[in-house]
This record gives sequence, structure tokens and C-alpha cells, in this order.
Amino acid sequence: MEHSAIVELIRTTVTGILGHGRFEMREDLTALDVEGWDSLTHMSIISALEAAFNIKFKLREINKLRNMGSLIELIESKLA
Amino acid sequence: MIRAGMDDLSTVLAESLRRHSARNAIRIGSVFHTYKELGEAVDQVRIHVRHATGDQVIGLMAHDHLLTYAAILALWAEGRAYLPLAPGSPIARNEEVLEQAGVRTVLSCCDDPGLRGATLVRIDGELPSMEMPVQHFPGTTPAYLLYTSGSTGKPKGVPISRAAVSAFVVAFDALGLDLGPDDRCLQMFELTFDLSVMSYLVPFLKGACVYTIPRNEIKYTYIHELLEDQQLTIALMVPSILNFLRPYFDEIQCPSLRANLFCGEALPLDLVDEWQASVPNARILNVYGPTEHTIFCTSLEYRRQGGNKAINGILAIGKPMEGTTVAIIDGEGNAVPNGIPGELYLAGAQATAGYWNDPGRNRESFVRIPNLPQDVRYYRTGDRCVQDEDGDLLFQGRVDHQVKVQGFRVELAEVEHHAKGLLSRRNMVVVAVRNASGNTELVLVTEGAEANDRELVRGLKDILPGYMVPSRVLHMATLPLNANGKIDRPAVAAWAGNSVE
Repeated sequence: MEHSAIVELIRTTVTGILGHGRFEMREDLTALDVEGWDSLTHMSIISALEAAFNIKFKLREINKLRNMGSLIELIESKLA
Repeated sequence: MIRAGMDDLSTVLAESLRRHSARNAIRIGSVFHTYKELGEAVDQVRIHVRHATGDQVIGLMAHDHLLTYAAILALWAEGRAYLPLAPGSPIARNEEVLEQAGVRTVLSCCDDPGLRGATLVRIDGELPSMEMPVQHFPGTTPAYLLYTSGSTGKPKGVPISRAAVSAFVVAFDALGLDLGPDDRCLQMFELTFDLSVMSYLVPFLKGACVYTIPRNEIKYTYIHELLEDQQLTIALMVPSILNFLRPYFDEIQCPSLRANLFCGEALPLDLVDEWQASVPNARILNVYGPTEHTIFCTSLEYRRQGGNKAINGILAIGKPMEGTTVAIIDGEGNAVPNGIPGELYLAGAQATAGYWNDPGRNRESFVRIPNLPQDVRYYRTGDRCVQDEDGDLLFQGRVDHQVKVQGFRVELAEVEHHAKGLLSRRNMVVVAVRNASGNTELVLVTEGAEANDRELVRGLKDILPGYMVPSRVLHMATLPLNANGKIDRPAVAAWAGNSVE
């Protein structure tokens, strides 16, 4: 999968869970910057991403996510 | 150590701080603070408190900071009570609580926006030190005042006395978990939730170390890391944490954990059955209790070999802890024998003196039972329970979550139990909503992706009488939780109601 396609699928997946697309896909974007992306929606977003990309995250990998950049990187490593 | 009705809270805390001065008391972020540092911070805050006000109850902005915990101990040392306020709560909500409580002073260690009607007092400034003697206060003196959501929509204040806190500590000790200076204990709760009191107080009394969770971290993943990487030994959690971690149980292994307590929500037996392998050396306790009866007051030990008691898949809540008396009361207000379900009433040394400034609510909630000794005042929990022949209590749901559909009684917990069996691992609730024609309808709300609704309803029709089968299934991306981390049923019901209209 192309980098740009991965980024786009993350964007649409997150938008689907949060019910809005009011965020920018910057590498340094964190959950705190996004309305409604909290402790509770986080797990739903993770599950939705697993389904969308047909991958499975490890709990430790989820713990290490710090921003959008690390999320994209993690998904790319899973797809590689 | 606190002995029943003997020692004052501040005296034993001061002794523990002194005796364990070289040990770590608390980890905030990734920084450890020793008992010596905690003790110095307590003395510092005591001076601030003395300068600020003579009031009995004082607000406390619950930031992730050593000074926040020091402030609690400082207020107790000065014979005052704390009213915790969450920095993340809407300002209007905090102001409402302060106004209702009649609290005019709020302590804080950080920059906070102003609160109408209250003076913010910074406690992070250095002041010239003073001699800080240990003082004794009557057991009736409040230790903390918590606000819980009220069924009427107005939050209700629950004051808990020093004597009630001491009674809890005595009852906790009697569980035999034997906490000591080598224990590392999880503190996952907002200070506005009374489970936090056990999570910091018991370790502080024993010289153990408290591990907190930074506000901006994802709670359940952070707990996992603390459990494994910091090798925690004692953890009190809400069951919803396990729901979140459930897809990853096979990646979690915490051999250091020796006691794992659950409280605050019904604990599904199948969830514990799956979880126990991740905490192979832990005693697992399901504890229960309302804020009004100081933290928790009944306890059941989970048996790894099986044979655990449950109703509707919910693990029993066990027997009253030391000092607590229970009664099961029927619709006429009389105590019923074992085996007959009714509302759970509680009495004993852990009981609150009554809601803060609310005599009307107190008359309703604190009562004497006609066929029981008249010198005992009971608190009505609103929880529907049955006590079996062994004296174990089984929780059957809220008395006020019983609904009627076409005149039939329906326990929502029972419908949920069966739906859960069909949905495997999905978070869900059943709520009652009023449809356009004014009748009550049951709506099943699941969390996350599309379920096969038709199959689910067909499956339920196979198990339940028609009136118990939800008339529709709706999906929410995430089921909303309230401030205490429990599924916010009123919010789900309101959302479902709008969707049905």
C-alpha cells in the first residue's frame, strides 16, 4: 500500500469513529489535539484500524503510540 | 496501625511517614517521591491551610502532583475535610458542587481558572517552616466530602467521617491482604471517586508505594505497563478496564501481582475467568460498596478452581466486611430471610452521617427497619440483592433499573446477560426508552462496528419471552462512560431515545 493511501485510510477510519474530520494528518498530531479522541474512543479507533488494514496490534505497540507519525509508521511496518 | 475505634487517622499517618521516610511513597509521572518528601510537603501545606481559612471543608483541585496528596494529609492533620474537584471537569460543574457544599476555599498547586464564589489558594509556595504537632480530632469530624450523581439530576454530597475511614481501614485489614512496605500499589482513580481513597490511604499507612496514572495517558494501556514494568503487587480496578484489555489478555502476564481487587461495577464471571491467567499469583477479590458506606464493605474471593457463585453471569459480591451489617428488605420495608431477593440495606461504622445539607433526601435514604432492632440506622443502596444460605450476597441489578414492558417486569441485567452471550466480547447495554406511542421499549445498544442485528434478535427470541426481547438494536462508536469510568446508562438511554423517536 502506498504511503498516501495508508494516510488516507487512517483519516477516513478515524473520521468514521469520531464522527468528524476536523483534524489535520500531521505527523506530530496527538490525540489531545483532536476533539473527541480520548481514552475511550482510542480503543474503538484502534479496533477500527485493525479491521480496515486487516492487521493486529500488540498491546505494547498501542502503548508506545505517541502521535500520528508513530501510528502511520506502525501500520506501515505491519503491512511491509 | 489503626485499631477499631482507637487511633486517630492523623496520628497513624504521621507515624507511618516518619517510620518509612527513606522509602518511596508515591510515583507521579515517572518520578518517585519518598515518604520524607511527602512529609515535608504535608507540613508545608498545613501552614498554607492555617493562613488561608478556618473552614471545616476545603476544596482541592486534584492535579497529578505530590502536593495534591500532601494536601489531603495536611487537611486531615488540621482536622479539616477535602472536597476533591477534577481539573478536567467543566468549570460550571465544579462551581455547582462548591456552591452546594458551601465551600469557599479551594487549594491548588497549579494554575487554574477562577471559580465563582471561591478563593483559590496556591499551596506550592515555600513558607517559613513551623513546628507542626500531631493533633487529635473527634471521630465525627469529616475527612472528605464527595459528590455523586443524584437520581434527581442534582449531585448529592456524601461526607465521610474520620471514624468511618478508620473503620474501613480496620475492615480492609481483616481481609488479610497484609500490605507492607514492599508493596507497589495501583492508584487508577480520579480523587473525586472514593476508590481512590483506598488506593492511596492503605499504602500510605503501610509504607508501601502508590503508582498514579498521568491524566493525559490512556488509562488501560498505562495500567498494563505499570503492572508489568513496575511489577505492581496490589491493584484495585474497575471491571471496565478488563473489558478494554480483553482482546489482549494473551499478551499480559503479571506474576508480581498478589492481590487484584475489583469494585465499582458488576463483575462478569466470564471476564474474570479469562483474566485470571494473566495474574497467576494474585488473590482476586470482588468488593462492593456505595460511597455512602465508605469505599467498599462486602467482599468475595474468586476461586480459581471454579465453583464461583454468580447470577446472570455476574460474580457474587460476597459477605459483609468487618463492622458492616446487611439486611435485605422487601417492598413493604421489612427484612426478608436468605434466599428472598430485595433491596440491600447497609449499617455499621462505615456509614455516612447523611447527605450534606439535605434533610429531605436523608429521611428517604436512612431508615430504621420495623422488624429489626430500632437502634440501627440503615442506608438504602438501591441495589437489588439476594443473600444465599452461606450468607453470600448476589447482585441482581438496580432496584430502579427494573422496567415494565406491557405490564411485565424486566430486569435489564438479565436481557444483557443473554445478549452478551450472543455478542461475544462486545460492550453493550440495554436501555428502556419511551417510543412515539408512549410505551416502553427495550433498545439494545452495542459498541462498535455493525452487528448482525437480525440474527441477534432472533437469538434472543429463542431464549427470552417476547416482552424481554429488545425491539431494536442500535450502534454507538463508543459507549459513553461517566466520571467514574462506568457505562453512562442515562446518556445511552437518552441517545437511544432520540434515535427511536
